[in-house]
Amino acid sequence: MDTVIKAFGLVFQFDVMVAVVASAFYGLTVGALPGLSATMATALLVPVTFYLSPIAAVATIITASAMAIFSGDIPGCLLRIPGTPASAAYTDEAYAMTRKGQAETALGICLWFSALGGIAGTLSLMLIAPLLAEMALSFSTYENFWLAMLGLMCSTLVARSSPIKAIAAMLLGLLITCIGIDNPGGVPRFTFGSTDLLGGIEPIPALVGVFALAEVMRALTEREPPKIENRKLGSILKGQWQLTKEYPKQQTRGNIVGIIIGVLPGAGADMAAWVSYAMSKRFSKTPEKFGTGHPEGLIEAGASNNASLASGWVPALLFGIPGDTITAIAIGVLYMKGLNPGPSLFTTQAESMYALYIIFILGNIIMIPFGIIMIRLASKVVGAPRSAVMPVIMIFCAVGAFATAGNNLFAVWCVAFFGLFGFVMEKNGYPVAAMVLGIVMGTMVEQNFVTSLIKSDGSVLPFFDRPVSSVLAAMTFAALLWPVFSWTREWLRGRSRTVAA
Amino acid sequence: MLLSDRISGSAIAALGAVAFFYGSKLPPVPGQQVGPSAFPMVIGTGLVICGGLIVFGIGRHFEEVAEADVAHHATPEELAPLPAWRNWLALLPPALLAFYALASETLGFLPTAAIMVLVASLAFGAKPKLAVPLAIIAPFAINLIFLKLLRVPLPGGILPFPW
Repeated sequence: MDTVIKAFGLVFQFDVMVAVVASAFYGLTVGALPGLSATMATALLVPVTFYLSPIAAVATIITASAMAIFSGDIPGCLLRIPGTPASAAYTDEAYAMTRKGQAETALGICLWFSALGGIAGTLSLMLIAPLLAEMALSFSTYENFWLAMLGLMCSTLVARSSPIKAIAAMLLGLLITCIGIDNPGGVPRFTFGSTDLLGGIEPIPALVGVFALAEVMRALTEREPPKIENRKLGSILKGQWQLTKEYPKQQTRGNIVGIIIGVLPGAGADMAAWVSYAMSKRFSKTPEKFGTGHPEGLIEAGASNNASLASGWVPALLFGIPGDTITAIAIGVLYMKGLNPGPSLFTTQAESMYALYIIFILGNIIMIPFGIIMIRLASKVVGAPRSAVMPVIMIFCAVGAFATAGNNLFAVWCVAFFGLFGFVMEKNGYPVAAMVLGIVMGTMVEQNFVTSLIKSDGSVLPFFDRPVSSVLAAMTFAALLWPVFSWTREWLRGRSRTVAA
Repeated sequence: MLLSDRISGSAIAALGAVAFFYGSKLPPVPGQQVGPSAFPMVIGTGLVICGGLIVFGIGRHFEEVAEADVAHHATPEELAPLPAWRNWLALLPPALLAFYALASETLGFLPTAAIMVLVASLAFGAKPKLAVPLAIIAPFAINLIFLKLLRVPLPGGILPFPW
């Protein structure tokens, strides 16, 4: 109880409150602008968090990402253009409701069920994380190695692309972390005589490049989205309670699927929305209504993507394994603030963890009033011309990376390089999220790998000896072989069909 | 910037091979079997295998499924092709960042950022009526945020921040 009171003391401070409110509006704005993702919002926040207290820093990330995921639904509803990729799954549905003259209801569903989903996700984080932490305290380097490998493999499985390209992307990320002097031998590795490379590639400039600069580049190759016309909207929350009572099953299922996908490394809000929307359609009694402006799928998927946000922090806080691309950035901030991820975080920094839960709940509650304000202002915010927003973001990429790297221009080169690299990768079907996971986790994977090998005197057998590590190893190999299995099944099915015909 | 799988796969395999050989040349830690070379060699091997599989088009099927899904959800306007030169325009932001890295120390933040904003804004199709004021105001505002709020001194150069 004492820790909870302390946690409230940590949260309800002037700087934290200012940080929450400011990042809420920032997140809502960025999310509502088409082409700017929640991950980009988080990446651009990092230099600001550098100068905040640890709790305020984490609070800005939590609030901004939750708000951005919700507000991505706004242009989806009004324009049929998802504000963030996490809204893409149900944009058609929401827009169909708007065309039927139910824009208020559609926006209301997105807001209300986003907030409820966010709170459900937080509850799961509060329940799962401490339980797992107790278990994880007994893990040795073998378990940690397999857990990290499993995380990396999951990130390749969930990528909506070729699994081989995803694995290649992930390995490229791991290779990038080999650069520098921070390795088991302490020798300069892949530095090619450059003093800048001795320190290695910092994850933050790389992430800013991949998630922010690459978005600016992509925007240059795409058409300017149309403007939202100024329309009069009625009461946003009217009828939402009715819908909550009408679709309890869809909502619960959306929350649970979102939580599970959030915990899976590398899979985040966009994946959660796609899976939940498909699931809602499959289990619906009226699947034919989907796509015509039916609230069912919207409720399930809208709850799901926000639920995934909080549970994405479970592996991030416990093992330093990002649950999604947003927590990939958050892990960097946690290290920067001395809140190094690990199971002991829940005992030594218990009040900080409680503070984190409180911020999550708080963020999802204030989402409702702030969200309503944003919906009313949407036509003005989304109307901001791209030619004014994008150049400013580009400058932020440069200066932000420069500031986080201790005023080093090498970081700006990193941003430019990774922006280009990420853009080319994405164009050619290599999922950047997998590479980012590699970059964030590389050092940890290598440490556990080499320490384990040293302990075992170079033998691989002890990697499979302990019960937990053998289970994790089996799961990793299953994840590696899953694409082969699913491809064979489809191939066999295709063949039996041609034989039958 | 669309490369064929053959090219990107071979590049990955070649990079893997280089990582493997470079890794194997690293000096070992005395008295230990495993040192800094183990991890790059494992990754290098993995990259060679993946690159090879990509060259032979294995796993391409999964991509086609995902692409069809995206096309199914896109609006017709989004799918309409843009002129090819627009693709090359994407090189502009990294080029401008390189310009920042090279010029900001001598020119100073304000002029460098002003040039970057002006060029980028025009590339996005802004009229000079918008681009010029933006190029003057935005760098000032950003400099103010970083200097006063975050206490990051940005390079002064020929035109330092006036207060």
